[in-house]
Amino acid sequence: MKMPLFTKATAWLPALILAIVIPPMAGGYLVSMLILICIWTIMCFSLNIIYGYTGQLSLGQAAFFGIGAYAFGLLTVKVNMGFWPAFFASVFIAGLSGFLIGIPALKLRGPYFILVTLGFSVIVGVVLVAWVDLTGGANGLAGMPRPSPVPLPWGGRLTFDSLLPMYYFTLFFLVLIMVFSHRLINSLIGRRFIAISYNEDLTESLGIDTMSTKILSFTISAIMAGIAGVLYASYNVVISPEMAYFARGMDVVAYLVVGGAGTMAGPILGTLVLMAVPELLQVIPSLKTMINGIILMLFLIFLPSGISGGFKALKGRIIRSRTSPYAGS
Amino acid sequence: MVTAVEFCQYILNGISQGCIYILLASGLTLVFGILNVPNFAQGHLYMIGAYFGFYMVMSFGMNYWMALILATMALAFLGLLLYKFIFYPMRDVPEVNLFVAAMALLMIIEGAALFFFGTETKWFVVPYSRHVVTFGPFALPLQRIIVILGTLVVMIALQIFIKKTMIGATLEATAQQREGAMLCGIKVTSVSALAFMIGTGLAGIAGVLIGPAVLLEPTMGMGPLLVAFSAVVFGGMGSIAGAVLGAFILGLVESLASGYISATYSLTFVFGIMILTLLFRPKGLLGREVWRP
Repeated sequence: MKMPLFTKATAWLPALILAIVIPPMAGGYLVSMLILICIWTIMCFSLNIIYGYTGQLSLGQAAFFGIGAYAFGLLTVKVNMGFWPAFFASVFIAGLSGFLIGIPALKLRGPYFILVTLGFSVIVGVVLVAWVDLTGGANGLAGMPRPSPVPLPWGGRLTFDSLLPMYYFTLFFLVLIMVFSHRLINSLIGRRFIAISYNEDLTESLGIDTMSTKILSFTISAIMAGIAGVLYASYNVVISPEMAYFARGMDVVAYLVVGGAGTMAGPILGTLVLMAVPELLQVIPSLKTMINGIILMLFLIFLPSGISGGFKALKGRIIRSRTSPYAGS
Repeated sequence: MVTAVEFCQYILNGISQGCIYILLASGLTLVFGILNVPNFAQGHLYMIGAYFGFYMVMSFGMNYWMALILATMALAFLGLLLYKFIFYPMRDVPEVNLFVAAMALLMIIEGAALFFFGTETKWFVVPYSRHVVTFGPFALPLQRIIVILGTLVVMIALQIFIKKTMIGATLEATAQQREGAMLCGIKVTSVSALAFMIGTGLAGIAGVLIGPAVLLEPTMGMGPLLVAFSAVVFGGMGSIAGAVLGAFILGLVESLASGYISATYSLTFVFGIMILTLLFRPKGLLGREVWRP
């Protein structure tokens, strides 16, 4: 079989180069926008693990985002921990809470699991607002540090005080999480995730412990959401309970479904499109929600597999007309 | 005996609060039982109903009861459109997609409401809505009493409709066994449309009934929706009696929790109860296997 010139791997490289080369030429506003896009893409990848691959829709991702961000904020501001210890501790806390919530919640299926994750998200939101002594209530927390400077091998230090290094910092984590997701999904564990999304009972009958596999998947997704939360807290310097509001969790679902759940390109495409379209149209925030809702609805009705699913179908149609049906895979 | 009076007052508040949840939860559970759609937008449809009544009464000077009927019909018609253009085309997709679709509907309605109705809170004033009825040491706004009576009437009417009429029987049959109902010659599509219309119509009734008792704002539907959803889960998805019982209990829990413990955390208690119920009785209090396998 002839090697196609343009494979998936070669498509990622120009995308990465673009992501590295474009921002220095762009203005500060665009860079700050791109940082947010990176953070929300990480959230999308987090949901992608539990929903896209394992098939369990979680509306609680915003809660883990909030837990990560607040843990980071509290550890750095109130305990005066350094950046990296606080980073790992908060990510650990987010993962642990995912593990603990996952044990009871994943016993449930379908709408029940969705509702428990939503309920968890609402409870976290309420606690963040109401526990004023700890979280600062509706005012939130301020004064999170930016990442500590990294010494460069050729002397000098890389500091993260300005926007551009911060962008590369989040981009680094995004790429890290993408590589990790890719490796995970192509491993045996990832295959189990996918098997569960197809048919949980059948998977169990094959001797796979679906419960612990689902808990693993949920914990990994909580860890990723926690990383996104820490990055957000560090970038934004101020955190408030709104970011853990369950509506954020719904936004992430919208991004992922529009981009294409269960694909590697989906989270990126969906976040880019749904964050960029309202920005380009220069609409007021309330209409932003409406436009996102309309786009999501149109995709659900006409293209439930999302943008990347649409591409795949298109590619499949072209390739099928030329070669064997399996050439595209 | 201040404490006993206090306790009874909380119970009374809880009942009137529970009625709000009953109206929303019965619509939710009906639609879930028949279409398998966890209609996440129910709370926002209730908000639309409230605004509809507000504009009818406040801007056009319509009679309150007239507005109630009109809002119910308008919302039922909206439900028909939603079913026709969103949920009917999606009838064969996985359940999760229906949930996401309901979520998308919520986003659209919320955005539209913020745009058209504005973010400032509105005050739905009906001539007697601020009148407070006192009997003995207890007090309850008249509108709250109207809500309780209205809920009673609506729920009894719904129960008679489902249990005593032929069309109601087709609704129940479809909820119990979709394929079986089809085999009996029931037009499941029409029944589903009807169920959706009843569900949204109930949201309309709820909006106009409750609107004068609360402040109107575009996000007003979210809190009641979450509690109503918990009530549906608590009572057992698809079961109307379960939803009513669940809504009633959660209304009492919310009222007592905010009275004795903390008002800010009352939602936490409601959700905590839902989560605990699911863990120990995954089908809910009255949920039966027959409704959904």
